[in-house]
Amino acid sequence: MRIQLNARNRAYHFEADQGARMLYAGLAAGINLPYECGSGTCGTCKARLIAGEIDDLWPQAAGRKYLKRPGEFLMCQCVARSDCTVEVANHVHNMDPGACVPAFRDGTITDTRALTHDIVSVSVKLAQPIDFDAGQFVLMQVPGVAGYRGYSMVNFERATTRLDFLIKKKPGGGASEWLFKGNPDGAHVELFGPLGAATFYPNLGKNILCIAGGSGIAGMMSILSRARQERYFDQFSGYLFFGVRTYLDGCYLAELSQLARDFPDRLHVTIALSDEAVPEQALQSHPALGFDHGLVHEVAGRHMQGKYQNVRAYLAGPPAAVDTSIRMLLLQAKLTADNIRYDKFS
Amino acid sequence: MPKRFVCPRERIPANGMIQCEAEGGLKLLVANAGGDYFAYQAMCPHQDVPLCEGFYDGAVLTCHQHLWQWDIRTGAAMGLAEAALESFPVEVESDLIYVVSQSALNAAELFIGISDATLAAITALAQKEDRAAGSICYDFGDPADDFFVLESGRVEFLIGRDERLSPAGFMLRKGEVFGWAALLENQPQRIARATCLEQARLWRINGKQTLELLERDSASGYLVMRRLSSLIARYLASSGSK
Repeated sequence: MRIQLNARNRAYHFEADQGARMLYAGLAAGINLPYECGSGTCGTCKARLIAGEIDDLWPQAAGRKYLKRPGEFLMCQCVARSDCTVEVANHVHNMDPGACVPAFRDGTITDTRALTHDIVSVSVKLAQPIDFDAGQFVLMQVPGVAGYRGYSMVNFERATTRLDFLIKKKPGGGASEWLFKGNPDGAHVELFGPLGAATFYPNLGKNILCIAGGSGIAGMMSILSRARQERYFDQFSGYLFFGVRTYLDGCYLAELSQLARDFPDRLHVTIALSDEAVPEQALQSHPALGFDHGLVHEVAGRHMQGKYQNVRAYLAGPPAAVDTSIRMLLLQAKLTADNIRYDKFS
Repeated sequence: MPKRFVCPRERIPANGMIQCEAEGGLKLLVANAGGDYFAYQAMCPHQDVPLCEGFYDGAVLTCHQHLWQWDIRTGAAMGLAEAALESFPVEVESDLIYVVSQSALNAAELFIGISDATLAAITALAQKEDRAAGSICYDFGDPADDFFVLESGRVEFLIGRDERLSPAGFMLRKGEVFGWAALLENQPQRIARATCLEQARLWRINGKQTLELLERDSASGYLVMRRLSSLIARYLASSGSK
């Protein structure tokens, strides 16, 4: 199917295979279409059908609440049934040269292991190597569960055939329940990606502030991994605030300790415990890490006072936690909006 | 638009904002900036999210959805925002806030922040045009004497020639400016066709006369040229970030 997409500044043409979601087809063609979650919740990929016919794969998608006018639809949930002309009310550009253009990829789940009582680490072995940027995510479809869910990569390597993810157990979350039900190793999954604009590049030239809630730590691990590989913290400071309920909900603490020991003057890692005072055991087991009691944005606000010069912030976690962090960074820290990066998916 | 009651001043906290419905049902965002009051469209021009759910520090308004930002005193776009806010001039009388009748060009993104006198003079140049769906505002090779401010409707641009025409974007927001070749040097002819996709109301303004007015008020002229250059850059630049 041939899609003509009229954007505010120009028109684009791309092919969408039978059954291919319009957003994915356009992104795979190297067109930087508007999107955020890519999975039906945020409404950012709203478009309007001018001509042609489409099918909506998920008429109950939460993001449909942002559709106001006749003909509007979510590009991430709709497939073209005929050639279509659609309109998006955004300026749209081609992806930059060197961008990691997303594509469909097949993979196999391996090395599933529990990190905490409700978080597992899974890896996906890919048939073909992939390039992605630190902080990006992929959309994953698991067997027997309709639709895609977004998961951030934990690792960072160029031309890798292995992607590491964190998956949080969510009652009623289809993909999450499937992964927690028995051992999924060996299962075939379909990925689309990489996606996401909350990316870190070593030529940034700024101190970095990462605020993560729960499984939002995944993308931060990738950013810290790239920064470590490039010895970014020889020149710039890094601050990571990782919010969890209790000490036992913390994952990757050994890895974070190692990072903090590698860059003792420049990299500061603080674990924020929202539901308990800091236990003695935490301080003894991880002397290289800081611990504090409170919500992660409050803890970050306290520790970061006076340290906001030349800072780029990366945020990830539950949407409500990301929102409160954004509020704090805009209103108290006075960061400019272009220095606050996040991809919201719930 | 006649003068309309909005709300008592005391409803708006110091350096705070609320959403109000003015007389006649017009929904507005009303903000208090150090004791001065400003009224804007209630919804974000990006994705129709209520602006009152956003962040406001007494100077800069941020929509929480994608962090578009505006200068609260002018409604001018800042940071990531791709569109200005439509502003409604406010009067305060015995502690009651009113929005008052406004210039037809008050929403024009090109003229945000310029002096009242120059805006009034440009407004006097503006001729209203009501156009039916399908009508052509200008065609390839037409003289580029006038520029247009969109009041309502939708205008599409085509570039190319003969059967190789291709869409070159469209305008849909009140206050958007097109045909700005009329404000540039050495651009005597149209290089695109502008067609109304639906019934539209436009303001047609002569470019040369506008430039003469701006030469006499160079502070306003500077603002207009700055906005014009960012408008043109929007068509060239890679978006880079959200």
